[in-house]
Amino acid sequence: MCGAHAAVRSLVAEMVGGNDRPTILDIEAGLEHLSRGTARGVDTLLVIVEPYFKSMETAARMAELGRELGIGKVFAVANKVASADDEKELRAFCGTKGLEILGIVPQDELVRSAERQGVGPLDIATTSPAIDRIGELARALTP
Amino acid sequence: MKIAIAGKGGSGKTTIAGTLARLLVRQGTPDVLAIDADSNPNLALTLGLSREEAANIRPLTRDILKRVTDEEGNTKAVLAKTPQEVADEYGVPAADGVTLILMGRVEHAGAG
Repeated sequence: MCGAHAAVRSLVAEMVGGNDRPTILDIEAGLEHLSRGTARGVDTLLVIVEPYFKSMETAARMAELGRELGIGKVFAVANKVASADDEKELRAFCGTKGLEILGIVPQDELVRSAERQGVGPLDIATTSPAIDRIGELARALTP
Repeated sequence: MKIAIAGKGGSGKTTIAGTLARLLVRQGTPDVLAIDADSNPNLALTLGLSREEAANIRPLTRDILKRVTDEEGNTKAVLAKTPQEVADEYGVPAADGVTLILMGRVEHAGAG
């Protein structure tokens, strides 16, 4: 990463914290990008977790790091959940890590189709199992 | 409401981030800002922009940052403009009234 990129990243916190608008911040994949720089100004961290062990391990580490960085509310959001067994495994894992699951988004053919086409799920449908669960997540996050 | 979304590559974090931003607006939260801090930005597509529109988004330029030196002599980068000015200048109107800002990379032209 070049110096200019690092400098701009360090401005993300100022951008997020320095205005009154509701803000959704998509941070770079990878643990190393969750830093003091990006975490300042953020009040809620959602860690997206898929139902397989490596994803759960990574999510648990990200959640722990988020807490260490002082983010007040840290939640897991399960994604691509395809079965009751998936859900059970995720709940058991997050339970042992003391990580609250705020939303469970199912595996959804509509989302796969949108990703294949390079569009948003909401550009091709108004409702689907995944969209509806993300809608519930939005309500849970609205003060 | 200041929500960061993290996850491994391929976890679907960007799809959830963009869809969440749009649904917040549909449910009545105004003026939602979506910031893509990923150096491989894909949030634009989830926010309803075409591939062409996404490719043509003007990246941030270095004039948005300035170097300051603190009392201990350390220099650091800070915003040279207010966040609102940056949003007005670089924010892209996206679907459902979400404003998108790309912050994962910076334009190299003229960089020194």
